[in-house]
Amino acid sequence: MDQPTTQVLLIEDNPGDADLVRLRLVEGKTPVNVNCVNRLSEGLAALSKESPSVVLLDLNLPDSHGAETFRRVLEHSPNVPVVVLSGQDDEALAAKAIHQGAQDYLIKGNISSKHLERAIRYAVERQALLRALEITQKQQLEFKNQFLSHVSHELRTPLTCIHQYVTLLLDGLAGPIAPDQGDHLKTVLKSVNQLHAMIRDLLEATRAESGKLRVESRCIALGELLHQTAAMLRPTANEKQIGLEIALDQRLPLVLADPDRILEVLINLVDNAIKFTPPEGAVMLQASMVDADPSSVYVAVSDTGRGVTPEAKTLIFERLYQDGDSIDNNRSGLGLGLFICKEIVKLHQGRIWVSSEPGQGSTFTFTLPVYSLAKLLTPVVTYQNQLRPSFVLVCVELTPLTSPPRGNWKETWHQGLETLRHCVYLDKDLVLPPMGAAGASETFYVVASTDLQRSEVMTARIREQLERVVNLQSKCTVTISAVQIELPAANPGESLERQVQTLAESVSGMILKNMDRKQFSAPKAPGSN
Amino acid sequence: MARQKILVVDDDPDLVRALRLRLRANNFEVATATDGYTAIAAAQKERPSLIILDLGLPVGDGFVVLDRLQSIDALSSIPIIVLSARDPQSNEERALKAGAAAFFQKPADNDELMNVIRVSLAPGQQQMAPWPS
Repeated sequence: MDQPTTQVLLIEDNPGDADLVRLRLVEGKTPVNVNCVNRLSEGLAALSKESPSVVLLDLNLPDSHGAETFRRVLEHSPNVPVVVLSGQDDEALAAKAIHQGAQDYLIKGNISSKHLERAIRYAVERQALLRALEITQKQQLEFKNQFLSHVSHELRTPLTCIHQYVTLLLDGLAGPIAPDQGDHLKTVLKSVNQLHAMIRDLLEATRAESGKLRVESRCIALGELLHQTAAMLRPTANEKQIGLEIALDQRLPLVLADPDRILEVLINLVDNAIKFTPPEGAVMLQASMVDADPSSVYVAVSDTGRGVTPEAKTLIFERLYQDGDSIDNNRSGLGLGLFICKEIVKLHQGRIWVSSEPGQGSTFTFTLPVYSLAKLLTPVVTYQNQLRPSFVLVCVELTPLTSPPRGNWKETWHQGLETLRHCVYLDKDLVLPPMGAAGASETFYVVASTDLQRSEVMTARIREQLERVVNLQSKCTVTISAVQIELPAANPGESLERQVQTLAESVSGMILKNMDRKQFSAPKAPGSN
Repeated sequence: MARQKILVVDDDPDLVRALRLRLRANNFEVATATDGYTAIAAAQKERPSLIILDLGLPVGDGFVVLDRLQSIDALSSIPIIVLSARDPQSNEERALKAGAAAFFQKPADNDELMNVIRVSLAPGQQQMAPWPS
């Protein structure tokens, strides 16, 4: 039987070793074609041009050493099987490469042609199997996501019909209804809303799992979100005669977070707390700072329920976790709420955990990053350990033409913001996170490392790109302005950190002044700059 | 003033009936269609002031209807509100780009829907706003 020729890329800098390996390869029964290079850079170049059946790799080359050599090959061509060639003295290193994904290793000077042939054949086979497995897993995940998205769609259709008819009756559009009939309908509507929430969770969890959950961070005050959560859930708490209290640290800094997503987390946690607390208990919502971790705000939801068992503490944030004997177990939900919370908090670079003593209630805590303009600015406003020479603050204001805005306003300003992000240089300009809760109009700021004259190119580009956004013009007016950021002369010997801090303070001052101006003066006529 | 007409397009006749009741109660005249083909015919015949459009439709889905309506001069300025069970993350932007004025996922909040219908029907909505110089 004709065997296909095995293409071998041999990356080996020692000519003696290379010749020996080549000889052993040619001696074997399988037809081989050997391409030998003596530097990693040449090896990577060869891998860019062709895809060999296998790479035989010496880890110590003139331009790369040790584990790093394998890591770079893997990074470049993750699908090509690699067999490491190792000396007697660095077998441990070769074993480490196996751990990282190399298919095999051979000790140089100890290689027979039979041995080599078999190592190559197995490496190729194993890699092909791995690859097939990877593809199957990907397909399965994709299939599951499609299935869930389909199910969610199919469930929504009849749910919409129920929702429409119940609200028709409740609103008296199909004739008057007796008070107790109204109460019954309200119960139906409550269940419809629960079902709706579950369908949303199902889709949300699928998104979280496939990395499609979107987070649009803003610079916000947490207090408002806590109050909003309490206001939404107070009726539920009152029904069970559960007290719902808020405790806010007076000097709470602003945080960098997506308000809609964090509201989702808070509602989930407080709703759970109410669900698991017996009547006349209490639920507390807290936001505070911790001395040991000044860059985070700690948000905690505690209850006087029966607590979480030590075994459940680790499992509770997993998908589909169900509490065995929930008080309300006729309405236990899908077990996705805490999983979604965990994923959202993770996307905010935060942590979430539960502390509890059985019978003593439990406390769910999560952290959010404190908003620090200086920290955000540092990578773009400094260059070679120095502050760049001049800065401009560009202000882009989107004002909807109608109230309420046409279409989905969040989607509209989000499109505007995304467009803006494509108009700046990532290494020296920064589109600041939007300030405050999303409002009737949106103002975005860019700190650009340039001077006023040169910033005209940028503002022209922003204008041009925004004009290209389909439908934006029919929904809002766009106002673009640019101001030089005046900085006090740096004191000699002032640290870079201090200089960035001064810049951040100037920028914050300018933004606050601009926000005040908008708040207290009549809105400008559309079109004026 | 004559009552304004709204064309409701959805393949679920039960939902169409409920929406008709609600819209009539809000003082609108209502025309209906349950597939993509009759939707375009109804738009041409009835000349509605606004269209509520589902996306998953037989005989030409909602996107086909959107495209078709946009390409007919006499119909291209009718505001269209998409009301669909589909995931907004993958359909909203596409629908807005295809010319829809708004996207609602089913089940939609009735008050919000009525609000957007009123805003879309308000005078002066049809022409584009001038771009600031």
